[in-house]
Amino acid sequence: MRKKQWIAALMAGAVVCSSMAACSGQKTADNQGGAGDTTTAAGQTSTTAASGDNSGTQAAGGDNSGAQASGEKQVLSVTTWDNESSPQFQAVIDAYEEKNPNVEIKIIDTSADEYNNSLGISLSAAQPDPDVIWVKDMGSMLQMADKEQLLPIDDFIAKDNFDMSIYKGAAEQLMYNGKAYALPYRNDWYVLYYNKDLFDAAGVEYPSNDMTWEEYYELAAKMTSGEGSSKVYGTHNHTWQALVTNWAVQDGKNTVVEKDYSFMKSWYEDALALQDGGYIQDYSTLKTANIHYSSVFKNQQCAMMPMGTWFIATMMQSQEEGETNFNWGVATIPHSKDTEAGYTVGALTPIAISAFTDQADLAWDFIKFASSEEAAEILAEQGVFTGIPSDAALETIASAERFPEGDSNVEALRYVHYSFDRPLDPQIEEIRTVLNEVHEMIMIHSYSVDEGIAELTERVAEIKGWN
Amino acid sequence: MNAKRKATKIILYVLLICLGIAMMVPFYWMVISSLKLNKDVFSIPMKWWPETMHPENYSVIWKKLPLVIFFKNTAKLTIITTIVQLCTSCFAAYGFTKCKFVGRDLIFLMYVTTIAVPWQVYMVPQFILVSKMGLNDTHIGLILMQAFSAFGVFLIRQFYISIPDELCEAARIDGLNEFGIFRRIVFPLGKPAMATLTIFTFTNVWNDFMGPLIYLKTKELKTVQLGIRMFISQYGADYAWIMAASVCSLIPIVIVFLSCQRFFVEGVAASGIKG
Amino acid sequence: MSGEKTTFLTSKQRRKIRNNLTGYMFIIPNLIGYTIFVFIPVIFSFVLSVMSWDGSQRPMKFVGLANFVDIFGDRIFRGTLVHTVSYALMTVVPTLVLALLLAVLLNNKIKGVAIFRTAFYFPYIASIVAVGAVWNMLFQPDFGPINEILKFIGLKNPPRWVVDKDWAMVAVSIVSVWKYMGYYMIVYLAALQGISASLYEAAGIDGANGWQKLWYITVPMLTPTTFFVLIMLTIQCFKVFDLVYVMTGGGPGNATKTLVNYIYEKAFTSWEFGPASAGAIVLFAIVLTITLIQFSGEKKWSKDL
Repeated sequence: MRKKQWIAALMAGAVVCSSMAACSGQKTADNQGGAGDTTTAAGQTSTTAASGDNSGTQAAGGDNSGAQASGEKQVLSVTTWDNESSPQFQAVIDAYEEKNPNVEIKIIDTSADEYNNSLGISLSAAQPDPDVIWVKDMGSMLQMADKEQLLPIDDFIAKDNFDMSIYKGAAEQLMYNGKAYALPYRNDWYVLYYNKDLFDAAGVEYPSNDMTWEEYYELAAKMTSGEGSSKVYGTHNHTWQALVTNWAVQDGKNTVVEKDYSFMKSWYEDALALQDGGYIQDYSTLKTANIHYSSVFKNQQCAMMPMGTWFIATMMQSQEEGETNFNWGVATIPHSKDTEAGYTVGALTPIAISAFTDQADLAWDFIKFASSEEAAEILAEQGVFTGIPSDAALETIASAERFPEGDSNVEALRYVHYSFDRPLDPQIEEIRTVLNEVHEMIMIHSYSVDEGIAELTERVAEIKGWN
Repeated sequence: MNAKRKATKIILYVLLICLGIAMMVPFYWMVISSLKLNKDVFSIPMKWWPETMHPENYSVIWKKLPLVIFFKNTAKLTIITTIVQLCTSCFAAYGFTKCKFVGRDLIFLMYVTTIAVPWQVYMVPQFILVSKMGLNDTHIGLILMQAFSAFGVFLIRQFYISIPDELCEAARIDGLNEFGIFRRIVFPLGKPAMATLTIFTFTNVWNDFMGPLIYLKTKELKTVQLGIRMFISQYGADYAWIMAASVCSLIPIVIVFLSCQRFFVEGVAASGIKG
Repeated sequence: MSGEKTTFLTSKQRRKIRNNLTGYMFIIPNLIGYTIFVFIPVIFSFVLSVMSWDGSQRPMKFVGLANFVDIFGDRIFRGTLVHTVSYALMTVVPTLVLALLLAVLLNNKIKGVAIFRTAFYFPYIASIVAVGAVWNMLFQPDFGPINEILKFIGLKNPPRWVVDKDWAMVAVSIVSVWKYMGYYMIVYLAALQGISASLYEAAGIDGANGWQKLWYITVPMLTPTTFFVLIMLTIQCFKVFDLVYVMTGGGPGNATKTLVNYIYEKAFTSWEFGPASAGAIVLFAIVLTITLIQFSGEKKWSKDL
């Protein structure tokens, strides 16, 4: 008897819940499919048509909207990563929405380490969402361009007489097979972050803007203190292979695609020495626990951290929100003995349009805005370096409220030589998979450095067909 | 004799209590760590009882993590999938047991042969198909791919077979049509099997990780598991927060489990014995 | 009324058609869904395994068995087979033994059975991400509780668990045993309750003690269940993904990468659907073999009993 009652109650509950859920399910379905399902009725096509008309005016004057016939909001979907912890995307999205009240930007946010993965999934399905893609790195841009998943923007550039010279050559770096696929949204390079409070407490002088790697290693050893979970590490290497190989290509003599990788040997030995000395957190711990570098720095578990300039904006936001309140600083990345200070390594963050978009004109308008001088200014206030390099932007960043005080911090943002962290090689993603695998094997002592380098040399040659 | 029996009983209790505690230790550690400061989670020597409680961890993660949305999504997916599966399975099971039609055995054979194919074998083409339908990153896609199971049909069918055909015959003579027989007679009798299937599907969908991992990308659509996973990858070194988030993620299932415990146990037993 | 006109169909034939229609009406909702979302993908996965396709708009190319040659030539893939098998070896027997032990203990007439049963069963219900997170912390090599305890009882160099390539799979297996034994305990409990009490009574009259009853009655009576649990567990081990994904992500190196991890990565990270499907077919072959063993075994038991 009791059992029957139970079942009845369970079923009744389930039915009620499901009818509720079914309603909300319907809504989601509409939102989801609405953006581009070709079968979803006439309303959709009319929106697309409107966007086509509209973009003419947008392209011409930048003002728009009033003319929107249907009065319906156009939805443009964009993909972002870790949107919450950094203002780099939101600031531009907000500004665009403000300028174009008839456009609603739908953000598809993913965590950084799953970003390329999930983007690939939507693109392989040839879905109309997303329309605009912030490409995480140049390698994956080449890959997507190669798979014809990105829309070439040459026609738009020609139509609008778009001036590419403001990017001072960066836009040309994003060409593939003679076609333009993206505009440079951000430009980042590596600097050294440090925790001023920890240096003050230890009575050690802050890292200087002219430091060799050897001096940096010594400093890391000096700044390591404590035991157990309260241990403070001298510095922090995130699990990216870039945090070793970048320094190997810093002098601009080699790239990460080479016939002979022996130039990396000493860099791996140094990284292992740091790890085995306990001056950086153990690679495998970081990797298996999936620990994000920003939480290590924010929790004051490391005194220094080499990282890209994008982290400035992250730190500024974190301080703004009161999440952290220690003093931090920026220094130039250390350099090797044979180069001068100010040699750095960096990368561009492109912004592109999906080949499957149903809002190509609107998407073009958005990426044009996102990489415009106007957006550059907005981003600079947030501490983000854009594809348009200028002294004005540098000054804006330096004078931002949450940017660390002191001239040396501003000085740290200048570089004398800049090499890309990866060459524009169509097979770079494939090669980077190898680099990452070998990097991991070396860092967990599965391979000796020599074995790793031999394997690297062999497998890359295989990919490139050099054998 | 009596003393010996008593001793055995005491040993039994001690053994059970030790094992029970051992099983629950991870959960205990989860809860106390969620009440510590991040830096104290791994304090040496280990503390099995926090000196000061920090329940504010919960308000912190509540602000950082849209848990309510994640719960709603998970509940929605679970409930709809379960209902759709239950309904279509019962229908089909009735068709396979109480109706005679051309090709019945052949179709049923198809079901039985695919029952043994693990989802992992066809998840890739299934994903491609669902994506081509434009249902990638939607709840509908995820529901549809899970809602039709051969196992469900099989389980219910096994039960319906045990319902004597004479019962249906009698009803037919009384003038009930097939749907009437299903609704009035077979369906009500099949409730125990349905309870089993409900529990089975409910647990599977609620705890599913790989399906949502492949299908759901938009944050607002994510399930609890994916949400917590995302949180962990962002705040990897904030141990107490991670534990607090984990505790929160377990609360609903604890409530459901404790209130319907008997069904869980009977469900497992029923689906297990059949083998 | 219209019956007059359609007399070229006998009433028997008409009934047959109607029966057919009703029958199909009942199965059609499930059949359509099942065909689209299961049958077609299953067949398609065989097709994909002999194709080369990166998921882009470019057409697929037939490559024959090249995908299989590729994956078996891939050290990582061969590694995943080894890891999956070693995971199964480390998981199946402990889970089975502990589940049986717990069930036998709980099958006594004692107070609070329900509480213990809940405690043992609960890990199975708990979500894998939360479980993975807490165990990862328990296994933390430098200051995690497990190693603290091991150090306390005198172990100088406790294993580094998930961050050590030799121990990571052991750690995953421990969690797996902990998580799943409650489930199989319930299966065993149900089987135990099916053993007739008269058998024990008869044995008691013959003077058998508790251990003898366990060994000569319980264990043999449970053989079919044990066989079933063994098969289920083995299949489950070959399908493992989530636990590894949340605990180690397949690392360190590739030390814990399993077959399904490989399929997932090939398909959804490298977009090589061909090799991914070839891997899936290998998984299918393994599971099929185990299932066939189960069938022949079941025949044997049903003959014996």
